[in-house]
Amino acid sequence: MNATISRLALQSLFGQKRWWVLIALPLLQIGLAVLVRVLSGGETGGAFEPVLVVFGLGLVLPLVALLVTTGVLGPEIDDGSIVYLLSKPISRYVVALSKLLVAVVVTVVLGAGSLVVAGLILEPSEPGQALAVGIGAAVAGTAYCAAFVMLSAISRHGMVVGLIYVLVFEGLLASWLAGLRYLSVSAFGRRIAGSLDSALEPIAGNLPLGYAWIASLVVLAAGCYVAGRRLSRFQLRGDE
Amino acid sequence: MAQPTEGPRSGVIHDIGYRPYTGPRLGTGAAARSLFVTGLLNAYGIGRSGRAKGLPMTLLAMMLVPAAIMVAVMVTLGLTEGFLDYGSYPVTLMLVIVIFVAAQAPVLFSRDLRSGAISLYLARPLPATSYALVRWASLFVAILVFIGLPVTVLYVGALTAEADVSEHTGDYLAAMVGIVLLSAVLATLSGLVAAHTRRRGLAVGVTIIALLVSTGVVSAVQAITSQQGNETAGLVVGLLSPFSLVDGVQAELLGGQSSFMVPPDTTGWGLLYLVVCLAVVAAGLWLLVRYYRKQAGR
Amino acid sequence: MSVLELANTSRWYGNVVAVNDVSMRIGPGVTGLLGPNGAGKTTLIAMMSGFLAPSAGTVTLDGDPVWANVSIYRSIGLVPEREASFGYLSGRQFVRANAELHKLSAPGAATDRALDIVEMAEPADRLISTYSKGMRQRIKLAAALVHDPSVLLLDEPFNGVDPRQRMHLMELLTRMGGEGRTVLFSSHILEEVEQIARHIEVVVSGRHAASGDFGAIRRLMTDRPNVYLVRSSDDRRLATVLMGADSVSGVQLEPRGGVQVQVTDFGAFALALPRLAQEHRISLREVTPTDESLESVFAYLVSA
Repeated sequence: MNATISRLALQSLFGQKRWWVLIALPLLQIGLAVLVRVLSGGETGGAFEPVLVVFGLGLVLPLVALLVTTGVLGPEIDDGSIVYLLSKPISRYVVALSKLLVAVVVTVVLGAGSLVVAGLILEPSEPGQALAVGIGAAVAGTAYCAAFVMLSAISRHGMVVGLIYVLVFEGLLASWLAGLRYLSVSAFGRRIAGSLDSALEPIAGNLPLGYAWIASLVVLAAGCYVAGRRLSRFQLRGDE
Repeated sequence: MAQPTEGPRSGVIHDIGYRPYTGPRLGTGAAARSLFVTGLLNAYGIGRSGRAKGLPMTLLAMMLVPAAIMVAVMVTLGLTEGFLDYGSYPVTLMLVIVIFVAAQAPVLFSRDLRSGAISLYLARPLPATSYALVRWASLFVAILVFIGLPVTVLYVGALTAEADVSEHTGDYLAAMVGIVLLSAVLATLSGLVAAHTRRRGLAVGVTIIALLVSTGVVSAVQAITSQQGNETAGLVVGLLSPFSLVDGVQAELLGGQSSFMVPPDTTGWGLLYLVVCLAVVAAGLWLLVRYYRKQAGR
Repeated sequence: MSVLELANTSRWYGNVVAVNDVSMRIGPGVTGLLGPNGAGKTTLIAMMSGFLAPSAGTVTLDGDPVWANVSIYRSIGLVPEREASFGYLSGRQFVRANAELHKLSAPGAATDRALDIVEMAEPADRLISTYSKGMRQRIKLAAALVHDPSVLLLDEPFNGVDPRQRMHLMELLTRMGGEGRTVLFSSHILEEVEQIARHIEVVVSGRHAASGDFGAIRRLMTDRPNVYLVRSSDDRRLATVLMGADSVSGVQLEPRGGVQVQVTDFGAFALALPRLAQEHRISLREVTPTDESLESVFAYLVSA
């Protein structure tokens, strides 16, 4: 884990225009919770699921992970600036891991953090629920980052493929073709959240708990490996 | 060719062919027109490489297929009543529209800015204001065709299936006005995003996310408020997504049906929705023009 | 110490061969990598810096392979052609980050030293996005020098740099070469190469066309007659006399005075000229070879 690379990744995320976009979704999540709370005047029981699980865990979290991860690796590979980070006596796997670490931390803080805050706003008497969602989101967020870092290391269109995964695959297909939940990161997150707080049982979905944890770890490991390997084999295609 | 020189050296340049252009020049109007047409064609990949045509044409096909199927059903089964709603077609196919808008706005706005070709455009007689407006117009018409064509196909199909001409014509025209408004708003928003982010991938992502998330939020909150009976809040929230905004104008002022849960039900609200629509377009255009003028000023 | 060696190196992309069986040794001093556009210069530098794998052959630095070996970056400093998009950092932050990534024990001091070498100490605290092209080039160079590498690879370093900075850069490279470092830079502008690199490597269409001191290369081109300009007291008569010599293949009277002589046998001509001049009582005022410049050498190699 190289602190300089992580620091550079952090600076590249927040030093450019992209940071507006990163902040917008978490703020929206919190704003939505506030709005619903105000509108329902305290009777927010039914709102927890749509706001936090469907919208938060299913949409805001993966989108934040996508924006953060594509920002941390994609642009530098695209315009070749990554050469400056790779022409150093540092293992390429360490480079990939350092960037991934920054992506995970930012995603967890912004994504899972905003979910916890939103959950506390909606149900202040049941902090356990908010925390459970937060932990599920943290695990899912990490897995999402790993998956997306894999995508942006392999393909120039990492953002678009990631969007297709989140919107099409997870959004549409997983609810129609139940078998696909084994490949859906948000399903892992929900199962883990469901296991931590009994009130969240209904959202857990039909997935073995062990599978959810292990699958998340597998995605994490695969993401690190693929990204590191891609960087080790990085080649500058000369135009001559 | 060297010529032997004697005495003091002198130089001479012979006119061997370079001549400045002295023929008729078309004015900036013609320049704007051709920029508009090129932009419109480029939005569908025409005039660019084969790969550039793939996505827009596929999306256009995806828009037309449901309309074609509905026309076929109508003609064979003779059903023309209570089955067709021109106004709700865009909302049903929202995902396809959003992808098209997000993917093609960068073609018209980000490409030139990113590659630096913008300085060539802005160095020509066509002023930066006109450039920005013409680009917007190309995107606007491209989206208009994208959404309007299938709806027109539906209308023509309904007529051939011998539906009630006056009723359908009324519905169709009302829906078309809505579609014009929707295209304007979508063109403005996606154009601003594309011009400011410049990186195609990011522009696509941000546009899709913004449009889908805003519409999703509107639906979710309206679901809650209709349960709670809090109409005003639902109406206010409906202003936040282009789709619900235009749907509201269409439902209230033009007599169409709404696809959202809490459409405006008084003329007052309907007018407010319309004003917000137009304000968004006006403000967006102003920002866009300002941005391009700043580029020209550099 | 610090010798880059390419042995029968080739690189192809599908059916296109970018580099074709090139062997060269780049040792200490300043070497110019020369070639027309599309000749494979960038590909060669990418291979030498470990950012492109050779399809065949090997690229080594003092015997260690360069590909997939991150430890060689301790000795190599690379100045790529592409702009670095680190506009959100200041010059100092960028160079310092490079120093830290090299795990230098005193990154701050190394940064200051590198900035001083490229004379960017004063604007170092401004953001890179505010720099001019020449300043960005110098910051890239500072980042490449910060770890005091023994090998410096520069891809088209003079591109888009203004004359004053060009001179400064040339002087800097000459100094680096004089310190015993191996400096290789690619260019297609001959005047630059001519001034600082006596040793050149020429690539044409992916093939290694020539290597060494360009004066020596010229002499090796025996199939092309050497051209001399001879000024004398009686040009016309000298021309007539020289045409009679075996080693001369052509004479031409220059409009501004002097005789242009095409010589096929340099050695014999060197003996024949003074003898003939003396026999016919013609005083020689000037004998100059006119096509030993890098430009003519290059033109011959490229057109071959």
